[in-house]
Amino acid sequence: MEMEEVVRIVEEEGIEHKNPIVIAGLPDVGLVGTIAASYIVDKMGYKEIGYVESDLFPPVMVIHEGKLKYPFGIYGNGSVIVLLSEVVVPPNAIYPLTRALTAWIKEIGAKLVIPITGLPVENRVDISKPEVFAVGNSEAAVKELREKQMELLEEGFIAGTYAIMLRECGKRDLNAISLLAQCFPVYPDPGAAASAIESLELFLKLGIDVGELLEKGEEIKLKARDLMRQINLSAPEMQKGVEQDMPIMYR
Amino acid sequence: MEIERRMLKATWGYDGNLEPLYEVEDKEDEILVTFDLPRVRKENVEINTTEDSVEVIAKMSDAVCWERWGGIQKRITFQAFRKQIRLPEKIEPEKAAASFKNGILRITLPKIRRKVFIPIE
Repeated sequence: MEMEEVVRIVEEEGIEHKNPIVIAGLPDVGLVGTIAASYIVDKMGYKEIGYVESDLFPPVMVIHEGKLKYPFGIYGNGSVIVLLSEVVVPPNAIYPLTRALTAWIKEIGAKLVIPITGLPVENRVDISKPEVFAVGNSEAAVKELREKQMELLEEGFIAGTYAIMLRECGKRDLNAISLLAQCFPVYPDPGAAASAIESLELFLKLGIDVGELLEKGEEIKLKARDLMRQINLSAPEMQKGVEQDMPIMYR
Repeated sequence: MEIERRMLKATWGYDGNLEPLYEVEDKEDEILVTFDLPRVRKENVEINTTEDSVEVIAKMSDAVCWERWGGIQKRITFQAFRKQIRLPEKIEPEKAAASFKNGILRITLPKIRRKVFIPIE
């Protein structure tokens, strides 16, 4: 299925969507979304049902078990879709990517979009269980968050792919809620990913036990070093620093 | 500089050492360097500093073995993290301090700085 010239979303034929919830795990601070999405795909046994490609992405393909794959995969079943990228989305690809993704998400009749990401905190090393905050893109989304007693991010800036995903979803009347787990600013954070998955249970009863994610945290950190390094290099261009700024309209 | 280095050099070596993720922060009177050292215990961390550099060698409690990967296509084992960083300003090595918690090594390096009080006339 071709959505846009610049970004192409290619889906396997015959997938029957049943108003799915879409989880987005794209590389960002702490790699929280990527680690969480990857664990969800693994634990739920979701199959790859498509991929996203773009001339704006780096000229990279991934080889897994001898098979050539696109680094930006779409996984899931009829009721849950997981977007998972193994490479950094370049800043100039963010707008066309989020536009194409939200158009496709609307077309498949999704009822909720949940981008998972991190909220960098300086004293993360002293936090044993990271807290999770949420941002909703509509009154309905914020109402749902309040009903579920989620901690809302009340003031501040958000930057990166997930910020634009929330905006683009709003334009298409798609409810979106971003989950932000407290995380290390420049290191991969499986603990934050575990907290995010636990909060996800409020919206989607997957029954995932995060024990293995916490147990294998150190192994995951080792494997995530190179992707984390790429994220750290692209952070200034992503305007990630603005997330630490005070908005002038702060009340 | 950092981008150029990344393009030319991998973050692991055939000598069994991995380059750790690290961050260097300028904190006015001191330089704070942190390292992410998974699989490392405090007693296996060695830190050496000079006036303008800091070196960390950290042995992992279990070696990491990766197979059938990248250009190697055979078994390769890593036993330690190793990294030497050139500091942006000169520091006082004798006054350096370090702590290690949950796999994060923090090294505080006080800058060599002679403060002169200037009275306002």
